[in-house]
Amino acid sequence: MGKLSMPLSVARIRITRVLREKWGLISWLAIPMIIVFLMSLIAGTGGGQLTGRLLITDQDNSVVSNFLSGGFNQGPMAEIFTTELVDEQQAATLMEAGDASAWITIPEGFGQAFLDNQPTRLQLVKNPAQNILPQMVETSMALLVDAATYLQIIFSEELAVLKPMIEESQFNDAELVVLTLGVKQQIDRLEETLFPPQLELLEKPIEQLPDETAQNQITFGLLMFPGAIFMALIFAANALAVAIWDDASNGVIPRLAATPSALGGYFNGQVMSAMALLGLLATVLSVLGSWYFNLPLSQLPLMIVWLVFSGLVIWMLFTALALLMPTAKVANITINATTFPLLMLGGSFFPMESMPPWLAGMGQFLPNGFLLKGLKDWMVRGEALTDALWLPLLLGVAILLMFWVLNRMLLNQLVHKV
Amino acid sequence: MIKTEQLSKSYGQFVAAEDISFEVQPGEVFGLLGPNGAGKSTTINCISGLLKPSLGEVSINGYSVLSEAVKAKQSLGLVPQDLAIYEDLTGQENLNFWGQAYGLSGRQLKDRMSTVLQQVGLESRAADLVSTYSGGMKRRLNFACAILHEPRALLLDEPTVGVDPQSREHLLSAVENLKSTGTAVLYTTHYMEEAERLCDRLAIIDHGKIIASGTLAELRSHMGEKDLITLQGDFSQVSEQVLSDFEVIEWQDDSIRFMAADAASLLSDILSRFGKGQVKQTAVQQANLESLFIKLTGRELRD
Repeated sequence: MGKLSMPLSVARIRITRVLREKWGLISWLAIPMIIVFLMSLIAGTGGGQLTGRLLITDQDNSVVSNFLSGGFNQGPMAEIFTTELVDEQQAATLMEAGDASAWITIPEGFGQAFLDNQPTRLQLVKNPAQNILPQMVETSMALLVDAATYLQIIFSEELAVLKPMIEESQFNDAELVVLTLGVKQQIDRLEETLFPPQLELLEKPIEQLPDETAQNQITFGLLMFPGAIFMALIFAANALAVAIWDDASNGVIPRLAATPSALGGYFNGQVMSAMALLGLLATVLSVLGSWYFNLPLSQLPLMIVWLVFSGLVIWMLFTALALLMPTAKVANITINATTFPLLMLGGSFFPMESMPPWLAGMGQFLPNGFLLKGLKDWMVRGEALTDALWLPLLLGVAILLMFWVLNRMLLNQLVHKV
Repeated sequence: MIKTEQLSKSYGQFVAAEDISFEVQPGEVFGLLGPNGAGKSTTINCISGLLKPSLGEVSINGYSVLSEAVKAKQSLGLVPQDLAIYEDLTGQENLNFWGQAYGLSGRQLKDRMSTVLQQVGLESRAADLVSTYSGGMKRRLNFACAILHEPRALLLDEPTVGVDPQSREHLLSAVENLKSTGTAVLYTTHYMEEAERLCDRLAIIDHGKIIASGTLAELRSHMGEKDLITLQGDFSQVSEQVLSDFEVIEWQDDSIRFMAADAASLLSDILSRFGKGQVKQTAVQQANLESLFIKLTGRELRD
């Protein structure tokens, strides 16, 4: 206890000072929540569920174009998008007003070109004020185009039989039976390749997925939520790292260096106070988020532990950066200049899922980026705990140990900078 | 109790302290006098272990500051020149923090806090935030934090700078009290009256070197029975021969400093040696530390 009394005393002093500075603490909590709220509004969702409005102008009005537009009204797309068939003028007006996420135009002759196995073109207009929803439409369209191409290749003979029936709108029962049998034979033939037996083994775990996970649909808010907590942690880590310079500038650190406790106890106390304050933030925000997004409570303790660990890694890095600087002012500027790129690239301002792949790739190499990705892989995407977190954990522990030693050394040098 | 032997500290070519040797005994107040930048704080920082001397040895209570730092620091209290307290904490919280830094805890810490608060006259304000204190009260708290653990050696680096008379009196009385209980005190200041009141022995330091040391009486004897006379005016046309029978310390176009025994009786004769209007102002200073410092360095202590 003797060796712990000085670190505990330092930690208590820091926590008291932070709690006394109420507005600082409130800003750590409030700023990320406000940003998530605003980002959610920008993304076109007022609540936790991601919804969008998809406009379709069908200039072809054929069986094939109806089939395509119907595709957006089925399956998971129907849960996310409200699809509306509109004419060109209505669509232009709605897009101009920013009232829709995307607008697809199916040109005249699309169905015929598809049946003739000729190239054709679909037109997509995306709402530039939104990010995720238009990207989802674009991805879905690319999948549909791929599916249509494969249909053309695999069922070319059957399509050749079907084509005159569609063109003349005359369906012969005998020819339809032949066509159906042909499709059945083709599927039977492909089944050996497309549905190998080992796929059946994978069906069991899918059937056994708990209801809770099935309920947790990935919404924009849910994608933003862990990043927002990281934002709060980064703001707090920033302020706590710079606070060490304040202690140096007001003479406390030099004076402590002349006491028997020296600076080792001081630094360990800073680590303890950072853990406690980051823990407070992580707990408040995690509980709020879990309640709002209806996350399983069983995830909460580990989530809080991971957030504190992540916050501590970031604080340790910020502290090293601050202590390397020659003056308090330069330290302040440098930490702030580092904070915002970390927030933007590391997935706190924008979910990495909405970033261009090359940018998201860069972000995942940042400390907050890989720590956040691990958390989301486990918490949001349902990856196994060890798969999602072991590598970030290893890297985080290495950073903590290395920078703990470095910061102890830098702190001794700080005495001579003031 | 506090001992420095040939202590030197250099930064490249610049020598901040050179060959500083002295010893402060228990129950003694040793004054280190000198203008700003003379090397007082460098000496204090080397003694407190904040700076590593380039050469020489420092020991506190028999323990080397370099090789037995923890033991040496346990016997040492430091009152830094600038305030080193938390303004957003109460006086009590500050004392509690610094007490723990010196290894105090529990009942012992509470008792000591109560005692020192009384010593510096802050009992009634102990529960208030330091940011609400006056400058003098902050200085008193800064002092109190250093004596909580009853150090056997105390370093005070200009503790009364910018302090109101009431707080100054509190601080000086507290130092006298510590002296009476056997604490060895090293006191740096450029206030002569403080040095004359508190210090048993003194060293005058300038440009990093001790230029004179001894008891107050010994230092005064350097001056003999002479007073320091300062004349101000226009002396650009005056020959130095005018004052050839006096010990001239400094001669400039606008001021002359020289020593004279029984200055009061000689003043009219001295002034008659100058032309009309040449002398605009005259000052006579009796032999004291200030005049000694001027005699030794040609500069004033507050330069």
